[in-house]
Amino acid sequence: MEKIRKYWNRPSRSAYVFIAPSIILLILFNIIPLIMAFGLSFFDVPITMNHATFVGWDNFVEAFHDPRFINSLKVTAIFTGIEVPVQVLGALVIAAFISKNNKRNKFLRAVYFLPVICSATVIGIMWRMILHSNIGFITAALQSMGLGKINFMNTPGLTIFVISFISIWRSFGISTIIYVTAIQQVSPSLFEAAQMDGAGKILQFLHITVPSIRPTFWYIMMTRFAGALQIFDIIYVTTNGGPNYTTESTVSYIYSRAFSSNSSMGYASAMSVVLFIIIMFITVLMYRRMVKED
Amino acid sequence: MNKFKKFMALGLAAMMVTSLVACGGSTGNAKNKKSDSSKGTTVTFWNSFTGADGDMLVKMVDKFNKENTDGIKVKMDISSDFDSQLSTAFAAGEGPTMILSSSAYRFTYGDYLQDVSDVFDKTDLNKDDFIQSYLDYCSDGDKTYFVPFQVVGYYMYWNKDLFKKAGLDPETPPTSWDEWQQDAAKISDSTKNIYGSGISYDYAYQIAHIMQRFGGLAVTDDNGTWKANFENNAGYENFLNMYKDMVDDGDNPLEADTDSMMSAGQVGITVGGPWVTAGLDTAGVDYGIGLIPQGDAGDMNSVEVIGFGITTAASDAEKEAAYKFIKWWNTQDKDGSSPALEWSLQNGFPAYTYSVQNNKEYKANKKLSAMSAANPEAPTDFIVDSNFPGINSVLSDVIPEMINSVAFGNSSVEDALAKAQKSTQKIVDKYNK
Repeated sequence: MEKIRKYWNRPSRSAYVFIAPSIILLILFNIIPLIMAFGLSFFDVPITMNHATFVGWDNFVEAFHDPRFINSLKVTAIFTGIEVPVQVLGALVIAAFISKNNKRNKFLRAVYFLPVICSATVIGIMWRMILHSNIGFITAALQSMGLGKINFMNTPGLTIFVISFISIWRSFGISTIIYVTAIQQVSPSLFEAAQMDGAGKILQFLHITVPSIRPTFWYIMMTRFAGALQIFDIIYVTTNGGPNYTTESTVSYIYSRAFSSNSSMGYASAMSVVLFIIIMFITVLMYRRMVKED
Repeated sequence: MNKFKKFMALGLAAMMVTSLVACGGSTGNAKNKKSDSSKGTTVTFWNSFTGADGDMLVKMVDKFNKENTDGIKVKMDISSDFDSQLSTAFAAGEGPTMILSSSAYRFTYGDYLQDVSDVFDKTDLNKDDFIQSYLDYCSDGDKTYFVPFQVVGYYMYWNKDLFKKAGLDPETPPTSWDEWQQDAAKISDSTKNIYGSGISYDYAYQIAHIMQRFGGLAVTDDNGTWKANFENNAGYENFLNMYKDMVDDGDNPLEADTDSMMSAGQVGITVGGPWVTAGLDTAGVDYGIGLIPQGDAGDMNSVEVIGFGITTAASDAEKEAAYKFIKWWNTQDKDGSSPALEWSLQNGFPAYTYSVQNNKEYKANKKLSAMSAANPEAPTDFIVDSNFPGINSVLSDVIPEMINSVAFGNSSVEDALAKAQKSTQKIVDKYNK
């Protein structure tokens, strides 16, 4: 007993005990499903898991011949291409303006953070009604200003931008708060020295703030990338992939194949694996860049 | 350490993606538990009635729990994600005693549903009181999968005020699709964002109910072989051309959500389920309800039947207890009222039994009378032959793609139909094997 106590009393070992609950949950709800998803991708099987047939690589071959899957990858890429830069850079600029701890900035931070704590369903329904082609408040306001009738939610080519806007509006608050925290950690003496050397606010921001918060920048970049590539909830509530599949993201399509009444779990798993490989590839690239810069 | 961090970062990214689809449990079939009596039994009851009708269902279930003298307790779980909840439970070898679902669920979950044809032997429910075509809809061969609970038909709704403003008789809705198109043109007013017709490009059920009036069923039984029926279907071609013309002429919006527009008084005529009335009543719209105009395909009464199903997870005692609930639901009290009647009156769904249809209060309800005016002898198949198991694929894949490609000008009507034929043929081939 004494031996066991001594063994676990070492700081390096007791740490494992403390993280054990998280590790167990991670294994149960993430690692095992992950392995199962890989396995399932080689079967033709509905969600009820009965009548499973081994089909080898057929699901992967089918995925790359499925126009909807290819289209969903394109939609996801477009969405990510809009959402990530706007969010990462936009939040940084806003954070720079509200980093000082005064009453006005604290109020603004709370306001920016509000959408983060709202459910995607509420946000989706709200924007769907606000931007409705006929009864939407913003649509009517723009029409009354003589800007014509803009069909925000039903115009291929436009709606993906609307979805990107809603997604950014919903989550930029959290990126902003993380930036604010990082900016507040930058030593004030650096700004004072720069000021004495005659550097203006913009130069201070570019040459002191930005380099100092680089790890935070990369953290936000990586998490937003992974999040954007998995966009689902806002699309599900607002457009459900329409119009004409121009907002159907890869996860939306995977969901429709996995959990609809005509469920095809094996095929959905195969598409998940493809998406996983894409995300893994991008994450590796970004991680290498981050390590290099560090 | 860096390698470890990298591994963790990659692992987390992987989990975020792939865990989405891998939440299903292990395989296995539920075993029937043995019990002698339903007395004191708990019936777990899952459904997806999350709206106002769900609130009523909660009250009704509470009423049963208080009233029944056998000590049966119905424990209800309403979920907006009922389908996923059910499929994952079945995959894990579990499930509720009783479900409320579309009779089409028999195609997906048939292996997990018990035969309920003996409900008429084990209770004093009168089989002859149930409209036969609806019972047939819940059956496949000798096996009955569901006992009808609600009949979901689609109906035509028209805004009487907009009819008056357009100089049309508000009591005379269109009776043909030519009249629909003509009335829509008269009602439309682009200066006020008013559209005569409200057919959504994103509402497969609505489109399916309309297009089958034009060109019949999309999948038919050709002497024991399923046959796709899109290509060279003149009826479907007429429907798509009519829809495209109305959109191009500004008489039908290019919109997914036409129900909200109808409630806002900006659509003259539309097609929808009985739930449309709730939005119209709340908004104070003066409207009429009628049957969807018939087209060249002839008389039809396409419906979807929602029914009580008993799963294989239920023991004999639980099944018996569930039967008692179903019996209670359909049994009249001394005043002639029954939960089924109350449900119809409050939620506006037409009845599936003759006794409720003949009730005075039911007959006095104009909406329900209009909905029950369909010929009960007319075929009830909805978009495909009622025994075709691939209905969900046709509704979720084929029809949306077809209507979207026409609505947004990606392809001609002929090309859209040819593509729909090809997609349906793939589905059909799967079931013809």
